[in-house]
This record gives sequence, structure tokens and C-alpha cells, in this order.
Amino acid sequence: MGDRGGDGGDGGVEYLVEMIALDNVTYTYPVTTTPALQNVSLTIPAGQFCAVVGANGAGKSTLAYTLAGFVPHFYHGKLNGKVTVAGKDTAATPLSELVLDVGLVFQNPFNQISGAKFTVREEIAFGLENLGVQRDEMLARVEAAMRVVGIETLADRSPLALSGGQMQRVAIASVLVMRPKAIVLDEPTSQLDPIGSREVFAAIRALAAEGSTVVMIEHKLEWVAAFADRVIAMAGGEVVADGEPADVLTDESLLTRGLGQTRYTLAARRARELGRWPAERKLPVTLEEAVEGFRK
Amino acid sequence: MAQAFSLFTVRDSILHRFHPLTKLSSAGFLFIAGLILPGTWTAYVVLVVIALPLALLGKVTRAWLAAAWRVALPFIISVFLVQGFFWPRGTPLVFLGPLSLKREGLVFAIASTGHILAVVSSFLLLALTTRPDMLMTALTQAGLPGNIAYIIVATIQIVPRFQAKAAAILDAQRARGLETEGNIIQRLRAILPLVVPLVLGSLVDVEERAIAIEARAFNRTGPKTSLIEISEATWEPPVRWVIVGVMVGMVGLSIWLR
Repeated sequence: MGDRGGDGGDGGVEYLVEMIALDNVTYTYPVTTTPALQNVSLTIPAGQFCAVVGANGAGKSTLAYTLAGFVPHFYHGKLNGKVTVAGKDTAATPLSELVLDVGLVFQNPFNQISGAKFTVREEIAFGLENLGVQRDEMLARVEAAMRVVGIETLADRSPLALSGGQMQRVAIASVLVMRPKAIVLDEPTSQLDPIGSREVFAAIRALAAEGSTVVMIEHKLEWVAAFADRVIAMAGGEVVADGEPADVLTDESLLTRGLGQTRYTLAARRARELGRWPAERKLPVTLEEAVEGFRK
Repeated sequence: MAQAFSLFTVRDSILHRFHPLTKLSSAGFLFIAGLILPGTWTAYVVLVVIALPLALLGKVTRAWLAAAWRVALPFIISVFLVQGFFWPRGTPLVFLGPLSLKREGLVFAIASTGHILAVVSSFLLLALTTRPDMLMTALTQAGLPGNIAYIIVATIQIVPRFQAKAAAILDAQRARGLETEGNIIQRLRAILPLVVPLVLGSLVDVEERAIAIEARAFNRTGPKTSLIEISEATWEPPVRWVIVGVMVGMVGLSIWLR
């Protein structure tokens, strides 16, 4: 299932433009005392597909809201440090302006449907209407966004009468259509079946290849390993590992911090315990790597 | 999955193709005419001469009559019972124990029923032939603030989802042994475990939805556009103004005659 090419990641093409930067960011929600993010520093270049993994409560969703500017504009709380997206300080830029630079998709598809539109086509156009895009351009962009996530056949259906997976694809298309420079997705495949998940990952991979910066929070590590250029692991509001999928997802020290492992890594670890996977051989994270390793 | 809560009925009819504001002003005219024109039978004449042909034109007659009946029936029964039996000093027609059905009360109830039917059926006709979002787009283009239009349409659309959520919570609580049937005390006891998760869950939903629409530039200032194109015939705007003028005239005349 591996679609991760050599066009991204630390080992691939060199990224030139810094799209997202967090400088020593600590954030505490209102009425709480424990920070949800602690001393997070990151730089994500343009065009990179970056996955964020970690156990529940690790701070992943807060990171997503922070990148999209909802922290501190929507969730006020206490934010220290500086977040920059497309060169703009998110704390100093109005949310209505930030939405042009960074789009946000989150896990509950129903709550992302505006509730004010009667067809999927009109639902996807909602953001463009708010931006004042002309109708002809709007139609073209909506059709293109529907093609990317494979929902052209749903165009005239009611967005409220779709399955969870279909709704999620509508939600993703609704953000894609606004063509933000960066897209943050918080577990967008949580309601999708394996085929739907693959389609969404492939669509997002294609967006990154076209130059969009993607930050995707995801628990499905097999898909992360197959598609992402880079993996950031979080625990207790901190970044505990940051690197290529093959390195982060096989880091044994992270198992005790709530980070899982792919089924291929798990199988190879068991094989290693049984003496059938040499200690010097790198553990696999994708199906292809596992097949190759077991063949040797 | 939940269908949108809307009475809109898809038909290929002339009435469906009218501009939403033309239909809104026509519904307003029916409403005013049925409500304030004098005479016991005037509202019925308005219904038969104007509303019924419009329903036929819109190919929604059956749905219109059924919905009007369902909505108006409880009010009609109450009016007939209250006015018929409790009309002070009227001519008794039938005695029922200590109560008597008065002629004047019945006449008043017949007139009131006409008013009720005119009010209900005028807006049902609008709802059956006009998509709420089209109406709101038309109203927004006519100057209604976008936030208000959004709240109205979103509320209409989300009602079935709210009902589905309430049903899911009810099932979940029943599965955990909550008694939701029985005497009044048992039913009252069941309310809290149903209402609390429904309200709290809905608050979370509202917060997420607020973020979602905010992420789609909902609060962005500046001109907005619409994917929905609402066409109108050249005769419609002047006709709308005439209808509005007649409505204002009827209201003025009614006030002057009193």
C-alpha cells in the first residue's frame, strides 16, 4: 500500500519554503492548570505531508487548533511562544484572514456540515460564497474538489443524508475548495472504511505533491507509514519524536509512551524474538518493507 | 443519517419556478386576506378562489391539504369546543348536560376556522414549493443579514438530526435499564438521564460546528456570493410591489373601518 515517494521527507527533495513554524509554544486551556501543549517547537516546510501521532490526550488536537489559529482566537486560554503560518503570526492575524492560509478538517463529519445547504455541491461552495468568489469559478473549483475526493456522484444529494464516510469526504472537499496553503486534518479517516481511508490518504498525498502543506493527525499507523513524509510523535503535550516514518514508528522507546506500532513492525519484532528477523535488519513499517524483509 | 426537515416537495411546476420573494409576498397576501377581510365565509372564499388554484398550479394539492389538515385540526377542535359551548348569552341549539351549544359561538368558530386555515395553508403553500435555502438566499440578496438567514435555515435542517440524537440517547439509556414507560413519576424520573446527555452533547456539537463554519470564512466581512442562481421573470418585481401595496391597503382599510 505504500505510495510514499521520494518527492518529500528529509531524504527526498529539499523543501525551501517554511510554511508552519512553532517557536517554544505552550498553551493552557481556560479553567485548566495543566498545559495541553508544552514547549513545542516545529518547522514544517511547504509541500510536506506531516503526520502527528500519539495516544489520546497527547495534545494532537490542540496542536491542530493551534496551527489553524483557533488557539488563541476561538479557545482563548494562555498561549506562550509564537506560531507562524505562511509568514503570519496566528495570534496577531484575524481568523477570517487565516482561513485563506490554513484549512482545518476534524474528525466528526456531521459537525463540519454547515447545515444550511441542500446539496453537496452547495455545501462545498459554502466557504467560497463567504469569500465572495464568482459563480463560474466557484462551480469549477467545487467540481475539481469533488473529483479529488471522489464524490462527484453525490453532488446533488443532501449533505445530511450521507454516510459518515461520505460526509467526511464532503468536509475535506469543503476545505480543499478554498485552496489554503496548508491543511490540518484531525483524524479525518476515523469514520472511513479501508478503501475510503486509502482514497483520502491518496488524495491528500496528491495535494502535498502539488505543493500544499499537510499536517494530519492520525491513529492508522499503516497508512501514516505508507503516505507521510514525516512523523511527529506527541505525548503529554510535548513532541517526543520527530523524523521519517521508518525511524519514528520503529522507535521502541515510544511504545511505553502510548505510541503504537504498525502490524508489520509488530510482526517483525515477534519474528526477531523468535530469531527469524536479524537484529541488524531494520524493522519494517510498510507492507512492502515487511514482504522484502521476510523474503530475505 | 437524517433527511433535512423541510416540507419542500420537488415538482416541475410554474409555482416552483416563481421567485421565492414572489411566493413569500403571495403567501403574505393570502395570510392577510384570510385573516382581516370581514365576513364569516370570506376566508373560505380566499382559500377556494386563490389558494386552491395555486396549490393545483404547484402540483402539491394533496400534500397541501393533508398538511393543512394535520396542522390546523387541533386548533379547529379547540375553537369549536370553546366558542360553541362557552359563548356568553347566545341562542342554544343543543343541550349537553349543564352545557349548551350556542349558535353565535358556532358562527364565530366557523369564521375563526377560516382564518386558521388561511394562515396555515398560505405558509404551507410557500413551504411546499420553496426550498428554505433558496428563500433565505433571496432574502439575503434583498438585505436580510446573512447570520440571521444561516440561523434560520440551519435550525430547520438540523431538527431531524437532533431528533435522531435524542432517539439514540433514549435507546442507550433503555439498554442500561432506564424505565421510560409506566406512571407519571417513572416517566419524570427518566427525563433527567435523557436531557442531560442531549443538552451537553448538543453544546459540544454547537462548538464544533462554530469552528467548522468559522474555518470556512463565515465571519469574513466583505461581499459574499451565492452558488444558487435565482431567476425571476421580468413581471415578478412589479407584481410583488402590487401585492405588497394591496396588503398594506387591506391592513390600512381594516384599521380605518374599526
